[in-house]
Amino acid sequence: MAKEIERHGIPVAMISAIHGLPLTTGANRVIRGARIEHVCGDPNLGPEKDFAYGLRIVQTALRALQTDVSGPTLFDPDDLEEAAAEGEAIHAS
Amino acid sequence: MSDTKVRVVHYLNQFFAGIGGEEQAGHPVEARPGAAGPGRALQAQLAGQGEIVATLIGGDSYVSEQPADAEPALRAALTEWQPDVLVAGPAFNAGRYGLACSLVCRIAHDLGIPAVTGMYPENPGLAGERLHMVAVPTSDRPLDMQAALSAMARLALKLGRGEHLGPAEAEGYLPRGLRVFSQREAPGYQRALDMLVAKLNGQPFQTEVPIQVPERVEPAAPIADLQSAQIALVSLGGLIPKGNPERQLNGNPHRYYRYSVEGQSRLTPQDWEAFHGGYFNGTSSENPNYICPLRHLRHLEAEGVIGGVFPDIFTMPGVATPVDKSQAFGDQLGTELREGGADACFLVAT
Repeated sequence: MAKEIERHGIPVAMISAIHGLPLTTGANRVIRGARIEHVCGDPNLGPEKDFAYGLRIVQTALRALQTDVSGPTLFDPDDLEEAAAEGEAIHAS
Repeated sequence: MSDTKVRVVHYLNQFFAGIGGEEQAGHPVEARPGAAGPGRALQAQLAGQGEIVATLIGGDSYVSEQPADAEPALRAALTEWQPDVLVAGPAFNAGRYGLACSLVCRIAHDLGIPAVTGMYPENPGLAGERLHMVAVPTSDRPLDMQAALSAMARLALKLGRGEHLGPAEAEGYLPRGLRVFSQREAPGYQRALDMLVAKLNGQPFQTEVPIQVPERVEPAAPIADLQSAQIALVSLGGLIPKGNPERQLNGNPHRYYRYSVEGQSRLTPQDWEAFHGGYFNGTSSENPNYICPLRHLRHLEAEGVIGGVFPDIFTMPGVATPVDKSQAFGDQLGTELREGGADACFLVAT
Protein backbone atom coordinates (compact mmCIF):
# COMPACT_ATOMS: atom_id res chain seq x y z
CA MET A 1 0.00 0.00 0.00
CA ALA A 2 2.85 2.34 0.88
CA LYS A 3 4.34 1.90 -2.58
CA GLU A 4 1.05 2.60 -4.36
CA ILE A 5 0.47 5.78 -2.35
CA GLU A 6 4.00 6.93 -3.18
CA ARG A 7 3.26 6.50 -6.88
CA HIS A 8 0.94 9.47 -6.40
CA GLY A 9 3.88 11.55 -5.22
CA ILE A 10 2.89 11.46 -1.55
CA PRO A 11 5.74 10.35 0.73
CA VAL A 12 4.73 7.61 3.18
CA ALA A 13 6.24 6.99 6.60
CA MET A 14 5.45 3.39 7.47
CA ILE A 15 5.51 2.75 11.21
CA SER A 16 5.75 -0.94 12.02
CA ALA A 17 6.77 -3.13 14.92
CA ILE A 18 7.98 -5.73 12.42
CA HIS A 19 10.15 -3.39 10.39
CA GLY A 20 11.97 -6.10 8.44
CA LEU A 21 8.83 -6.96 6.54
CA PRO A 22 8.00 -3.58 4.95
CA LEU A 23 11.70 -3.15 4.13
CA THR A 24 11.66 -6.47 2.28
CA THR A 25 8.47 -5.66 0.41
CA GLY A 26 9.83 -2.30 -0.70
CA ALA A 27 8.36 0.43 1.51
CA ASN A 28 10.82 3.33 1.21
CA ARG A 29 10.60 5.03 4.60
CA VAL A 30 10.13 2.59 7.48
CA ILE A 31 10.07 3.60 11.15
CA ARG A 32 10.70 1.09 13.91
CA GLY A 33 7.58 0.99 16.06
CA ALA A 34 7.43 -0.32 19.62
CA ARG A 35 5.46 -3.57 19.70
CA ILE A 36 2.70 -5.14 17.63
CA GLU A 37 0.15 -4.58 20.41
CA HIS A 38 1.20 -0.95 20.94
CA VAL A 39 3.03 0.31 17.89
CA CYS A 40 3.24 4.01 18.85
CA GLY A 41 4.15 3.87 22.53
CA ASP A 42 4.45 1.55 25.48
CA PRO A 43 1.89 1.46 28.32
CA ASN A 44 4.43 -0.24 30.57
CA LEU A 45 6.43 3.00 30.77
CA GLY A 46 3.68 4.92 32.57
CA PRO A 47 1.64 7.73 30.99
CA GLU A 48 4.35 10.38 30.66
CA LYS A 49 7.15 8.27 29.26
CA ASP A 50 4.63 6.40 27.11
CA PHE A 51 3.57 9.67 25.46
CA ALA A 52 7.18 10.80 25.10
CA TYR A 53 8.09 7.52 23.43
CA GLY A 54 5.14 7.78 21.03
CA LEU A 55 6.11 11.35 20.28
CA ARG A 56 9.66 10.23 19.49
CA ILE A 57 8.31 7.63 17.07
CA VAL A 58 6.10 10.24 15.40
CA GLN A 59 8.98 12.73 15.24
CA THR A 60 11.15 10.05 13.68
CA ALA A 61 8.42 9.50 11.08
CA LEU A 62 8.39 13.23 10.34
CA ARG A 63 12.15 13.22 10.01
CA ALA A 64 11.85 10.31 7.57
CA LEU A 65 9.33 12.27 5.53
CA GLN A 66 11.84 15.14 5.28
CA THR A 67 14.68 12.84 4.24
CA ASP A 68 15.65 12.05 0.68
CA VAL A 69 16.03 8.28 0.32
CA SER A 70 17.06 6.18 -2.65
CA GLY A 71 15.33 2.95 -1.58
CA PRO A 72 13.92 1.13 1.46
CA THR A 73 15.44 2.82 4.53
CA LEU A 74 14.94 2.16 8.24
CA PHE A 75 14.58 5.06 10.67
CA ASP A 76 15.04 4.20 14.33
CA PRO A 77 13.47 6.35 17.07
CA ASP A 78 16.53 5.59 19.21
CA ASP A 79 18.64 7.54 16.71
CA LEU A 80 16.49 10.64 17.02
CA GLU A 81 18.43 12.18 19.88
CA GLU A 82 21.72 11.65 18.07
CA ALA A 83 20.28 13.31 14.99
CA ALA A 84 19.10 16.22 17.10
CA ALA A 85 22.59 16.57 18.48
CA GLU A 86 23.90 16.75 14.93
CA GLY A 87 21.58 19.66 14.30
CA GLU A 88 19.12 18.06 11.92
CA ALA A 89 15.75 19.75 11.61
CA ILE A 90 13.23 17.87 13.72
CA HIS A 91 11.53 20.67 15.56
CA ALA A 92 10.62 23.86 13.91
CA SER A 93 12.27 26.63 15.83
CA MET B 1 20.43 -47.21 7.33
CA SER B 2 16.98 -47.98 5.91
CA ASP B 3 15.60 -49.08 9.28
CA THR B 4 16.78 -45.88 10.95
CA LYS B 5 13.98 -43.39 11.32
CA VAL B 6 14.47 -39.82 10.14
CA ARG B 7 14.73 -37.53 13.16
CA VAL B 8 12.32 -34.64 12.75
CA VAL B 9 11.99 -31.47 14.81
CA HIS B 10 8.72 -29.62 14.22
CA TYR B 11 8.22 -25.88 14.72
CA LEU B 12 4.78 -24.53 15.73
CA ASN B 13 3.46 -21.20 16.94
CA GLN B 14 1.68 -20.84 20.27
CA PHE B 15 -1.72 -21.27 18.67
CA PHE B 16 -1.13 -24.55 16.87
CA ALA B 17 0.82 -25.86 19.85
CA GLY B 18 -2.35 -25.42 21.89
CA ILE B 19 -0.94 -22.84 24.30
CA GLY B 20 -3.34 -20.05 23.39
CA GLY B 21 -4.40 -17.38 20.95
CA GLU B 22 -3.27 -13.79 20.58
CA GLU B 23 -3.15 -13.29 24.35
CA GLN B 24 -0.31 -15.84 24.37
CA ALA B 25 1.51 -14.46 21.31
CA GLY B 26 4.32 -13.25 23.58
CA HIS B 27 5.11 -16.85 24.61
CA PRO B 28 8.89 -17.40 24.55
CA VAL B 29 10.61 -20.17 22.64
CA GLU B 30 10.46 -23.60 24.22
CA ALA B 31 11.14 -27.17 23.16
CA ARG B 32 8.94 -30.10 24.16
CA PRO B 33 9.76 -33.74 23.49
CA GLY B 34 7.55 -35.49 20.91
CA ALA B 35 4.81 -34.24 18.63
CA ALA B 36 2.14 -31.65 19.45
CA GLY B 37 -0.96 -30.27 17.73
CA PRO B 38 -0.78 -30.83 13.96
CA GLY B 39 2.52 -32.61 14.64
CA ARG B 40 0.48 -35.68 15.53
CA ALA B 41 -1.02 -35.70 12.04
CA LEU B 42 2.45 -35.06 10.61
CA GLN B 43 3.74 -38.02 12.62
CA ALA B 44 1.10 -40.19 10.96
CA GLN B 45 2.07 -38.88 7.53
CA LEU B 46 5.69 -39.83 8.19
CA ALA B 47 4.33 -43.38 8.06
CA GLY B 48 6.81 -45.01 10.39
CA GLN B 49 9.78 -43.72 8.39
CA GLY B 50 10.36 -40.66 10.51
CA GLU B 51 9.81 -39.58 14.08
CA ILE B 52 9.11 -36.18 15.55
CA VAL B 53 11.61 -36.11 18.40
CA ALA B 54 10.72 -32.63 19.60
CA THR B 55 8.40 -29.71 18.98
CA LEU B 56 9.77 -26.18 19.07
CA ILE B 57 7.20 -23.59 20.05
CA GLY B 58 7.42 -19.83 19.72
CA GLY B 59 4.82 -17.10 20.29
CA ASP B 60 4.14 -15.22 17.05
CA SER B 61 4.76 -11.78 18.52
CA TYR B 62 7.72 -12.94 20.59
CA VAL B 63 9.64 -14.32 17.62
CA SER B 64 8.79 -11.36 15.38
CA GLU B 65 9.57 -8.68 17.91
CA GLN B 66 12.44 -10.21 19.84
CA PRO B 67 14.55 -12.06 17.28
CA ALA B 68 17.64 -11.30 19.37
CA ASP B 69 16.20 -13.51 22.13
CA ALA B 70 14.33 -15.96 19.92
CA GLU B 71 17.16 -16.82 17.55
CA PRO B 72 19.68 -18.11 20.11
CA ALA B 73 16.92 -20.13 21.82
CA LEU B 74 15.88 -21.74 18.53
CA ARG B 75 19.50 -22.41 17.61
CA ALA B 76 20.20 -23.98 21.01
CA ALA B 77 17.15 -26.25 20.74
CA LEU B 78 18.10 -27.41 17.23
CA THR B 79 21.66 -28.05 18.38
CA GLU B 80 20.39 -30.05 21.33
CA TRP B 81 17.92 -32.20 19.40
CA GLN B 82 20.11 -32.76 16.33
CA PRO B 83 17.34 -33.50 13.81
CA ASP B 84 17.94 -34.84 10.30
CA VAL B 85 15.35 -32.36 9.08
CA LEU B 86 13.30 -29.47 10.42
CA VAL B 87 9.62 -29.08 9.55
CA ALA B 88 8.09 -25.64 10.22
CA GLY B 89 4.37 -24.96 10.16
CA PRO B 90 2.44 -24.96 7.88
CA ALA B 91 1.69 -21.30 8.42
CA PHE B 92 -0.99 -20.84 5.70
CA ASN B 93 -1.60 -17.07 5.44
CA ALA B 94 -0.54 -16.13 8.98
CA GLY B 95 2.08 -13.40 8.51
CA ARG B 96 4.06 -13.51 11.74
CA TYR B 97 3.91 -17.31 11.80
CA GLY B 98 5.22 -17.41 8.22
CA LEU B 99 8.08 -15.09 9.13
CA ALA B 100 8.89 -17.25 12.16
CA CYS B 101 8.87 -20.42 10.01
CA SER B 102 11.26 -18.78 7.57
CA LEU B 103 13.51 -17.67 10.44
CA VAL B 104 13.70 -21.10 12.06
CA CYS B 105 14.37 -22.65 8.63
CA ARG B 106 17.25 -20.21 8.15
CA ILE B 107 18.72 -21.09 11.55
CA ALA B 108 18.45 -24.81 10.72
CA HIS B 109 20.03 -24.23 7.31
CA ASP B 110 22.94 -22.40 8.93
CA LEU B 111 23.44 -25.43 11.19
CA GLY B 112 23.48 -27.72 8.14
CA ILE B 113 19.97 -29.08 8.82
CA PRO B 114 17.65 -29.16 5.80
CA ALA B 115 14.30 -27.42 6.39
CA VAL B 116 10.79 -27.78 4.99
CA THR B 117 7.92 -25.41 5.54
CA GLY B 118 4.50 -24.79 4.04
CA MET B 119 2.59 -21.58 3.51
CA TYR B 120 0.30 -19.62 1.23
CA PRO B 121 2.31 -18.17 -1.67
CA GLU B 122 1.49 -14.61 -0.61
CA ASN B 123 2.60 -15.15 3.00
CA PRO B 124 5.22 -12.50 3.84
CA GLY B 125 7.42 -15.33 5.14
CA LEU B 126 8.12 -16.12 1.51
CA ALA B 127 9.10 -12.58 0.59
CA GLY B 128 12.71 -12.13 -0.34
CA GLU B 129 15.38 -14.74 -0.82
CA ARG B 130 14.46 -18.28 0.30
CA LEU B 131 17.31 -20.57 -0.61
CA HIS B 132 17.44 -21.76 2.99
CA MET B 133 14.18 -23.70 2.86
CA VAL B 134 11.92 -25.86 0.76
CA ALA B 135 8.45 -24.34 0.91
CA VAL B 136 5.31 -26.21 -0.07
CA PRO B 137 2.52 -23.95 -1.34
CA THR B 138 -0.64 -24.28 0.77
CA SER B 139 -4.05 -22.68 0.62
CA ASP B 140 -4.78 -19.73 2.90
CA ARG B 141 -7.03 -21.87 5.13
CA PRO B 142 -5.92 -24.14 7.98
CA LEU B 143 -8.75 -26.48 6.92
CA ASP B 144 -6.34 -27.77 4.30
CA MET B 145 -3.88 -28.94 6.98
CA GLN B 146 -3.93 -32.56 5.87
CA ALA B 147 -2.92 -31.85 2.26
CA ALA B 148 -0.18 -29.49 3.40
CA LEU B 149 1.24 -31.98 5.92
CA SER B 150 1.21 -34.80 3.42
CA ALA B 151 3.31 -32.81 0.93
CA MET B 152 5.64 -31.57 3.66
CA ALA B 153 6.11 -35.05 5.14
CA ARG B 154 7.12 -36.50 1.78
CA LEU B 155 9.74 -33.80 1.22
CA ALA B 156 10.93 -33.96 4.83
CA LEU B 157 11.67 -37.69 4.54
CA LYS B 158 13.58 -37.12 1.31
CA LEU B 159 15.64 -34.27 2.71
CA GLY B 160 16.15 -36.03 6.04
CA ARG B 161 17.65 -39.03 4.25
CA GLY B 162 19.91 -36.74 2.26
CA GLU B 163 18.23 -37.71 -1.00
CA HIS B 164 18.43 -35.51 -4.07
CA LEU B 165 15.46 -33.21 -4.59
CA GLY B 166 14.11 -32.83 -8.12
CA PRO B 167 12.97 -29.57 -9.67
CA ALA B 168 10.30 -27.51 -7.93
CA GLU B 169 7.48 -28.24 -10.37
CA ALA B 170 8.11 -32.00 -10.20
CA GLU B 171 8.44 -32.20 -6.41
CA GLY B 172 5.63 -29.77 -5.61
CA TYR B 173 7.49 -27.00 -3.79
CA LEU B 174 7.83 -23.33 -4.63
CA PRO B 175 10.77 -22.44 -6.89
CA ARG B 176 13.74 -21.16 -4.93
CA GLY B 177 15.47 -19.42 -7.80
CA LEU B 178 18.16 -22.12 -7.83
CA ARG B 179 19.63 -23.36 -11.10
CA VAL B 180 20.69 -27.01 -11.15
CA PHE B 181 22.53 -28.78 -13.99
CA SER B 182 20.54 -31.65 -15.49
CA GLN B 183 20.02 -33.48 -18.74
CA ARG B 184 17.02 -32.47 -20.85
CA GLU B 185 15.53 -34.39 -23.72
CA ALA B 186 16.05 -31.72 -26.37
CA PRO B 187 19.01 -29.37 -26.76
CA GLY B 188 18.67 -25.73 -25.72
CA TYR B 189 18.37 -24.19 -29.19
CA GLN B 190 15.49 -26.53 -30.03
CA ARG B 191 13.64 -25.76 -26.78
CA ALA B 192 14.17 -22.03 -27.31
CA LEU B 193 12.79 -22.25 -30.86
CA ASP B 194 9.80 -24.30 -29.67
CA MET B 195 9.05 -21.59 -27.14
CA LEU B 196 9.40 -18.86 -29.73
CA VAL B 197 7.06 -20.66 -32.15
CA ALA B 198 4.54 -21.18 -29.34
CA LYS B 199 4.76 -17.54 -28.39
CA LEU B 200 4.30 -16.34 -31.98
CA ASN B 201 1.25 -18.58 -32.33
CA GLY B 202 -0.21 -17.32 -29.09
CA GLN B 203 0.23 -20.77 -27.48
CA PRO B 204 1.14 -21.22 -23.81
CA PHE B 205 4.76 -22.05 -23.03
CA GLN B 206 6.87 -22.36 -19.91
CA THR B 207 9.99 -20.26 -19.68
CA GLU B 208 13.06 -21.95 -18.22
CA VAL B 209 14.38 -18.69 -16.82
CA PRO B 210 11.59 -17.07 -14.85
CA ILE B 211 12.54 -13.64 -13.62
CA GLN B 212 11.12 -12.42 -10.33
CA VAL B 213 11.94 -8.82 -9.68
CA PRO B 214 10.54 -7.47 -6.42
CA GLU B 215 8.86 -4.33 -7.60
CA ARG B 216 10.50 -1.13 -6.46
CA VAL B 217 8.73 2.18 -6.46
CA GLU B 218 10.82 5.31 -6.77
CA PRO B 219 10.61 7.05 -3.37
CA ALA B 220 8.38 10.12 -3.39
CA ALA B 221 10.24 13.38 -2.85
CA PRO B 222 10.56 14.41 0.80
CA ILE B 223 8.48 17.17 2.35
CA ALA B 224 10.16 20.50 1.69
CA ASP B 225 8.42 22.52 4.40
CA LEU B 226 7.16 20.59 7.40
CA GLN B 227 5.64 23.68 9.01
CA SER B 228 3.12 24.04 6.22
CA ALA B 229 2.61 20.31 5.55
CA GLN B 230 -0.70 18.50 5.94
CA ILE B 231 -0.01 15.04 7.38
CA ALA B 232 -2.59 12.28 6.92
CA LEU B 233 -3.00 9.27 9.20
CA VAL B 234 -3.63 5.81 7.77
CA SER B 235 -3.92 2.87 10.15
CA LEU B 236 -3.79 -0.81 9.26
CA GLY B 237 -4.31 -1.74 12.91
CA GLY B 238 -8.05 -2.32 12.58
CA LEU B 239 -9.17 0.98 14.10
CA ILE B 240 -12.98 1.22 14.15
CA PRO B 241 -15.53 3.54 15.72
CA LYS B 242 -16.69 2.02 19.03
CA GLY B 243 -19.28 -0.68 18.45
CA ASN B 244 -18.33 -1.17 14.80
CA PRO B 245 -21.32 0.61 13.20
CA GLU B 246 -20.10 -0.15 9.66
CA ARG B 247 -19.70 -3.84 10.48
CA GLN B 248 -16.08 -3.78 9.41
CA LEU B 249 -14.36 -7.13 9.03
CA ASN B 250 -11.35 -7.98 11.20
CA GLY B 251 -9.23 -9.22 8.30
CA ASN B 252 -9.04 -9.41 4.52
CA PRO B 253 -11.20 -6.27 4.19
CA HIS B 254 -13.22 -5.37 1.09
CA ARG B 255 -12.40 -1.68 1.46
CA TYR B 256 -10.89 0.87 3.79
CA TYR B 257 -12.92 3.44 5.75
CA ARG B 258 -12.53 7.19 6.00
CA TYR B 259 -13.53 9.01 9.20
CA SER B 260 -13.37 12.66 10.18
CA VAL B 261 -11.26 13.50 13.23
CA GLU B 262 -11.82 17.23 13.02
CA GLY B 263 -12.05 18.74 16.48
CA GLN B 264 -10.66 15.58 18.14
CA SER B 265 -7.47 16.11 20.09
CA ARG B 266 -6.91 12.39 20.52
CA LEU B 267 -8.61 9.06 19.90
CA THR B 268 -10.47 8.03 23.04
CA PRO B 269 -11.49 4.50 24.03
CA GLN B 270 -15.04 5.86 24.42
CA ASP B 271 -15.25 6.55 20.68
CA TRP B 272 -12.79 4.13 19.08
CA GLU B 273 -11.50 0.60 19.45
CA ALA B 274 -9.31 -1.94 17.67
CA PHE B 275 -10.80 -4.82 15.66
CA HIS B 276 -8.09 -6.77 13.92
CA GLY B 277 -7.78 -10.57 13.65
CA GLY B 278 -3.98 -10.60 13.70
CA TYR B 279 -2.96 -9.45 17.17
CA PHE B 280 -4.27 -9.02 20.72
CA ASN B 281 -6.47 -5.90 20.48
CA GLY B 282 -6.91 -5.07 24.18
CA THR B 283 -4.03 -2.62 24.56
CA SER B 284 -4.86 -0.63 21.43
CA SER B 285 -8.56 -0.58 22.30
CA GLU B 286 -7.68 1.04 25.62
CA ASN B 287 -5.54 3.62 23.83
CA PRO B 288 -6.35 3.76 20.10
CA ASN B 289 -3.58 6.36 19.60
CA TYR B 290 -1.17 3.39 19.62
CA ILE B 291 -2.43 2.38 16.18
CA CYS B 292 -3.25 5.88 14.95
CA PRO B 293 -1.12 8.52 16.72
CA LEU B 294 -3.57 11.43 16.46
CA ARG B 295 -2.75 12.63 19.96
CA HIS B 296 0.96 12.98 19.17
CA LEU B 297 0.37 14.63 15.82
CA ARG B 298 -2.10 17.12 17.34
CA HIS B 299 0.55 17.98 19.90
CA LEU B 300 3.05 18.78 17.15
CA GLU B 301 0.35 20.66 15.22
CA ALA B 302 -0.29 22.87 18.28
CA GLU B 303 3.45 23.49 18.61
CA GLY B 304 3.61 24.59 14.97
CA VAL B 305 5.97 21.76 14.03
CA ILE B 306 3.63 20.58 11.28
CA GLY B 307 1.16 22.58 9.20
CA GLY B 308 -1.78 20.43 10.18
CA VAL B 309 -3.39 17.02 10.49
CA PHE B 310 -5.42 15.93 7.46
CA PRO B 311 -9.09 16.22 8.51
CA ASP B 312 -9.89 12.55 7.89
CA ILE B 313 -8.18 9.35 8.95
CA PHE B 314 -8.21 6.12 6.92
CA THR B 315 -8.48 2.70 8.53
CA MET B 316 -8.64 -0.99 7.78
CA PRO B 317 -7.26 -4.19 9.32
CA GLY B 318 -4.12 -5.03 7.35
CA VAL B 319 -4.23 -8.74 8.18
CA ALA B 320 -4.57 -11.38 5.45
CA THR B 321 -5.07 -8.84 2.69
CA PRO B 322 -3.89 -10.16 -0.68
CA VAL B 323 -1.28 -8.15 -2.57
CA ASP B 324 -3.55 -7.22 -5.48
CA LYS B 325 -6.20 -5.86 -3.10
CA SER B 326 -3.62 -3.88 -1.15
CA GLN B 327 -2.35 -2.37 -4.38
CA ALA B 328 -5.84 -1.27 -5.37
CA PHE B 329 -6.46 0.20 -1.88
CA GLY B 330 -3.12 2.04 -1.99
CA ASP B 331 -3.83 3.46 -5.41
CA GLN B 332 -7.27 4.69 -4.36
CA LEU B 333 -5.87 6.12 -1.12
CA GLY B 334 -3.12 7.94 -2.99
CA THR B 335 -5.77 9.56 -5.21
CA GLU B 336 -7.92 10.59 -2.23
CA LEU B 337 -4.94 12.00 -0.36
CA ARG B 338 -3.68 13.95 -3.36
CA GLU B 339 -7.12 15.34 -4.15
CA GLY B 340 -7.62 16.28 -0.49
CA GLY B 341 -4.36 18.19 -0.43
CA ALA B 342 -2.31 15.94 1.88
CA ASP B 343 1.45 16.42 1.62
CA ALA B 344 2.50 13.17 3.29
CA CYS B 345 1.06 10.30 5.26
CA PHE B 346 1.80 7.95 8.12
CA LEU B 347 0.97 4.31 7.53
CA VAL B 348 0.79 2.52 10.86
CA ALA B 349 0.98 -1.27 10.62
CA THR B 350 0.78 -3.71 13.51
